[in-house]
Amino acid sequence: MRKFFYDFTVTVILWIYYIAGFLVLFSPFYLVAFFSPAGREEVFQRLNHRLHRQFFSLVQLLAPNVKWHISEEVKALRSCMIIANHLSLLDPILLVSLFEKQKTIVKSDYFKFPVFGWILRTSGYIPSKREGLFAVNMIDQIKNMKDYLTTGGNFFIFPEGTRSRTNRIGSFDSGAFKIARLCHATPIQVVFIRNTHKLFPPGRFLFNTCEENVIEVELAGSLEPDYEGDAFSLDGLMAEARLLLEKKAVL
Amino acid sequence: MTREEIKTEILNIFSRDFEIEKPGLDDDLRQSYEFDSVDAIELLMGIERFLNSELTQDEKKMALEIRTINHIIDYVDGLVRVREREAHA
Repeated sequence: MRKFFYDFTVTVILWIYYIAGFLVLFSPFYLVAFFSPAGREEVFQRLNHRLHRQFFSLVQLLAPNVKWHISEEVKALRSCMIIANHLSLLDPILLVSLFEKQKTIVKSDYFKFPVFGWILRTSGYIPSKREGLFAVNMIDQIKNMKDYLTTGGNFFIFPEGTRSRTNRIGSFDSGAFKIARLCHATPIQVVFIRNTHKLFPPGRFLFNTCEENVIEVELAGSLEPDYEGDAFSLDGLMAEARLLLEKKAVL
Repeated sequence: MTREEIKTEILNIFSRDFEIEKPGLDDDLRQSYEFDSVDAIELLMGIERFLNSELTQDEKKMALEIRTINHIIDYVDGLVRVREREAHA
């Protein structure tokens, strides 16, 4: 009962911070950035990064039983596409908190939320599904991705699409790798996330703050595909990325 | 450029870039070949190379309704006619 009460209280505090962060604490900065002539997208990404970094500082404060090991290699990643496994809703916002200049693919439904959807759009994040095959914004975003990566941006994707409920690496959607091929993204950094699902399990509203847990984010490996080479295949690239994640998953 | 030539080039793009051989011209691309929005972007980039010119925002918006190969042929045919008119103007 005491555990439930503590988890409930922490969850409410975190949700209040999260919602108030967008609507109150950071909203003046978002508004100023929106009306600034240059670099709107980049400033929005930086604000998202700071908001989420503070969110995770709060998580660390309120859940002292949870230890965090984020490798320096991962923190230092710049100008690359990042492929990661997916365990919890915390994963994408954890990566946002690690990289100042970041883009990702976000579930389309989130773009319909007031304020939050506007922030996602203005930040240059890409909706996961489209009504039709061809979407103008997505075309431009993908075409500009190469420049974005060259200028220090990170583009992270969870090719499993959905959170794994079995602790195993789920089947991959080829979309992430097709984008990599289109952008000639190299290197592709493969990042392994461990135990976020123990802190915020899929299908649960409450954070699980009392259990001892070590959350790790580490580099599983780096891929440098030769997209123009005769030996290149999308399936081969997917298999390589998968193998790197699976090796980490069994450790 | 004739409609037949456009059709041949589109089928070449499907064969070369998407490994889709002899697709039905009225097949729904998403349902029949798991053609997704990233493939669609790659196709538009292939069309730009084929036309040797970038698509305008309005031309990209016109692509929103595309579902089949025949739609793509109609779409490219329209783009070619516009560019031919502009070249002769």
